[in-house]
Amino acid sequence: MGTIAGAQNILAGLKGAGIDLVASVPDINMLQLLNLLYEDKEIAHVPVGREEEGIGVCTGAHLAGRFPAMLMQNGGLLNSANGLTTTALQFGIPVVLMIYYAGDIGDNAFHMVGLVTEPVLQGLGIKYIVMRDPAKVKQEIAGALTLANSSKRPVALLLTRAVL
Amino acid sequence: MKRFECLQAIAPLINDELFVTTAGGATNEWNAVRPSDGNIQVKTLGLCSSIGLGLAIGLPKRKIFIFDGDGALWMNLGSLATIGLHQPKNLIHICWDNKQYESSGGEPTAATAGNIDFAGIARSAGIKSSRAVNSLEELKDAVNHALKNDGPHFIAANIEAGRAESPPLKYDELENKYRFIRYVEATEGVSILRLPQSASYLLK
Repeated sequence: MGTIAGAQNILAGLKGAGIDLVASVPDINMLQLLNLLYEDKEIAHVPVGREEEGIGVCTGAHLAGRFPAMLMQNGGLLNSANGLTTTALQFGIPVVLMIYYAGDIGDNAFHMVGLVTEPVLQGLGIKYIVMRDPAKVKQEIAGALTLANSSKRPVALLLTRAVL
Repeated sequence: MKRFECLQAIAPLINDELFVTTAGGATNEWNAVRPSDGNIQVKTLGLCSSIGLGLAIGLPKRKIFIFDGDGALWMNLGSLATIGLHQPKNLIHICWDNKQYESSGGEPTAATAGNIDFAGIARSAGIKSSRAVNSLEELKDAVNHALKNDGPHFIAANIEAGRAESPPLKYDELENKYRFIRYVEATEGVSILRLPQSASYLLK
């Protein structure tokens, strides 16, 4: 489910970085964060049915001048691989991918997805950070958006339970 | 009716609306009929409807057109539910239904057998202004209605298969993106690329 404190920390990190639109597909470990996003008035929250849709929504949002992020589980990263490749990477679209890291060390579900997550990001040429320290969350989100904008590429943050 | 005739019929109705056009013949033909930096091409089959939704949410006062196809919409049919959920008033989604994967050589789609009712699916997904059109007059009437009224709007245009002769696109996807962004910046009075100042300028 995550903790309220963890969710508040991440939401503050998103706002501090300047992210103003979040597309999402839920995961139980991001429940608290999603609850905050549903209530928040500053960040436009755009739930989508499938993660690749979210890559499209974030692309359109960037073309409209927004700073978008896509919140999803790592299974959803796999669902969105073609949109990431032939839209986000091919057109040069900055988007922060906020990915719950299922199957990480200590996680008891989706171990196969956990196994392939980092190799898939490496194969796609998407830089990423594994977030393990709540004290670094704000700095890492801001850094991811800075790099996404300067490289005009997606940048990924793998959210572990330690920061949620 | 043919797609090219449809595009020619609606071009005079268009002012400064933005267009997201699907991977396929609609992109080449629309850019031949109405060349503009306000047109953005799509390379991912099915994703034009989602990109158009993101644009519509990001620019709520600007009319956004999506040109979709039956194969592309089949691939991302869920996007109709997402558009129905978010109800963007400024979105006008047209599906050019030629009942085949024209860009892939003419293979059948879900629409080939004539059983699927895209306009009905859109309506049932919450897009109340949804209609199917079978003639140029019906199409022009639907587009005029969409331009004058709040949406979201969905128009399923039943067309004959076949492409018109049209030149290759003038810009690749990167140049197209930059020109589109500069056009949005100029016409909306906003800054999108926002390049940072060099670090040396920040020294006191």
